[in-house]
Amino acid sequence: MDTTLQPILEASGLAKSFTLHNIDGRTVSALHDISFAVQPGEHVTLAGSSGAGKSTLLRVLYRTYRVSTGSIKFHLRSGRVVDIAQLTDVEILALRGREIGYVSQFLAAQPRRSVLDLVSRAGVSRGMSRTDAREMAALSLRRLNITEALWDVHTAVLSGGEKQRVNIAAGLISPPRLLLLDEPVSALDPENRARAIDLIADLADAGVAVLAVFHDLDAISRLATRVIRMAHGRIIDDGPAAEVLPFLQPSDVQP
Amino acid sequence: MNHDDLLSVPSPVVSVNGLGKVFGTFDPSMIERTGPTTGTARDAFSGSIVAAWDVNFEVAAGEALGIVGESGSGKSTVLRCIAGDQPATTGDVRFTCHEEGTVNVLRLDPATRRRLRIDKLSVVYQDPAEGLALGVTAGGNIADPLTAAGWRNFGRIRSRAAELLERTEVPLDRMDDIVRNFSGGMRQRVQIARALANNPAIVLLDEPTTGLDASVASGVLDLVRRLLEELDLAVVVVSHDFSVIEMLTQRCIVMQHGRVVEEALTDQLLEDPQHSYSQKLVAAARA
Ligand SMILES: Nc1ncnc2c1ncn2[C@@H]1O[C@H](COP(=O)(O)OP(=O)(O)OP(=O)(O)O)[C@@H](O)[C@H]1O
Ligand SMILES: Nc1ncnc2c1ncn2[C@@H]1O[C@H](COP(=O)(O)OP(=O)(O)OP(=O)(O)O)[C@@H](O)[C@H]1O
Ligand SMILES: [Mg+2]
Ligand SMILES: [Mg+2]
Repeated sequence: MDTTLQPILEASGLAKSFTLHNIDGRTVSALHDISFAVQPGEHVTLAGSSGAGKSTLLRVLYRTYRVSTGSIKFHLRSGRVVDIAQLTDVEILALRGREIGYVSQFLAAQPRRSVLDLVSRAGVSRGMSRTDAREMAALSLRRLNITEALWDVHTAVLSGGEKQRVNIAAGLISPPRLLLLDEPVSALDPENRARAIDLIADLADAGVAVLAVFHDLDAISRLATRVIRMAHGRIIDDGPAAEVLPFLQPSDVQP
Repeated sequence: MNHDDLLSVPSPVVSVNGLGKVFGTFDPSMIERTGPTTGTARDAFSGSIVAAWDVNFEVAAGEALGIVGESGSGKSTVLRCIAGDQPATTGDVRFTCHEEGTVNVLRLDPATRRRLRIDKLSVVYQDPAEGLALGVTAGGNIADPLTAAGWRNFGRIRSRAAELLERTEVPLDRMDDIVRNFSGGMRQRVQIARALANNPAIVLLDEPTTGLDASVASGVLDLVRRLLEELDLAVVVVSHDFSVIEMLTQRCIVMQHGRVVEEALTDQLLEDPQHSYSQKLVAAARA
């Protein structure tokens, strides 16, 4: 069996709506009939105008949002297949970290935690030894241009761009098999963005499946092997980057 | 469901099944007259209070579960029943610790329950006066659970107390000061030091930072978070403060009028709350 042809993720018939009980009970439909599969080593970029449902889709896959209907088949390292939509909360926690990672635009508030501690802690929680995790953390922080002078500083005092780079370092240390990235480089200047993108590019080479949102055509052209275009909560285009990119509208990638 | 090693979920240390606590006379018919649907925990017919009903959850080692809800929703009642400070009206609370296997705490004789309480479980209260003797020194407060567990050697007790104070970042030169002279944050640290004295498997935290200044609270919170990471504790945290729940827990339950109205991953509760009451709480916390 050629495992490279086995998808790691298969979403079918996914829908997500929010019932806002305290705002006249209205229902907001954010995703409709989403079906796609992702292979290991693929870098899939989600494009689409603001409100299209890109972040919602990533959050549904991570189960930060509950799935309304549909299934999300996930192929575990062991070969067993689970449906993320059906797993219990405790099982989701076991799945997160080693198998699925999520890096958002913002660093989760963690007052009084030092930069190096935060990043190496992420490695430890994915099963690395403390020493390995510290070494890896130091390595990625250097690659992301976070100088040693900042390593024992509390993350709360960092600038927006520094926070975002620390967030990337934590998300990419001992990478899980599927990584969900939601505008991870949005606050970075061109030079630091290029460094971060290099680091993300290495992931796909290492066989990690990446599903990402970028508001930056350069990042997409550099990284994406495939582009899924969304509008109004639906997939309207899905194909190799070279085929879909020429058809992207400016609004598909504008913040 | 079949589990392979990567999805193997840790087995629970605390397991709460069908827990209920009624203050006043109990009659099964009061259950449907109380709770979220009627909007009160107080049974108009009898005057009894259904403080908690049909509460179910499990917590494994290395895991922290949050209990959120407004004042009077039954959060502390659940903790008190788990700790055995209050007898439950119905239900089971099981502890699974290595030596004893699984025991149903609510069915133990008082002496055994007291033993278990000393060796396996600690509570950190919002009000340090509940968890500490304020007129006693910091060292004396920590020595107390140690002597209860059979420690007799004065030197060893002092060095254990010093170790715990160091760990909870209380200056060692304050060891022989009475706790009443300590600041709120420091009292809370002494309470935590005391709670850890006998290496408990289970720690229950009831509003551990409520009432502290924001900067002091964040220091205590940071201490708790580090302890959770370093010690393999099964933890239940009660708080009405979502930032506390967000920082310390991975899963939580939401209580309203004595009932659990939602059970969720913590990030999911904050981003996609399902129940109207949870939505109200989260919206209020964001405002
Ligand atoms: N927690 C939520 N509660 C209610 N509605 C939500 C929630 N999250 C998302 N939505 C709605 O779902 C729709 C899709 O939003 P989403 O954030 O996924 O868009 P997006 O494609 O990521 O946009 P952007 O490019 O601006 O980040 C929007 O109408 C949004 O208001
Ligand atoms: N010893 C008692 N006798 C009678 N009623 C009690 C007793 N203890 C608690 N109650 C009642 O049980 C209900 C739940 O109280 P509990 O202390 O569990 O609430 P809580 O959620 O911890 O609230 P808070 O956030 O204010 O601490 C309340 O209505 C309370 O008045
Ligand atoms: Mg978005
Ligand atoms: Mg209380």
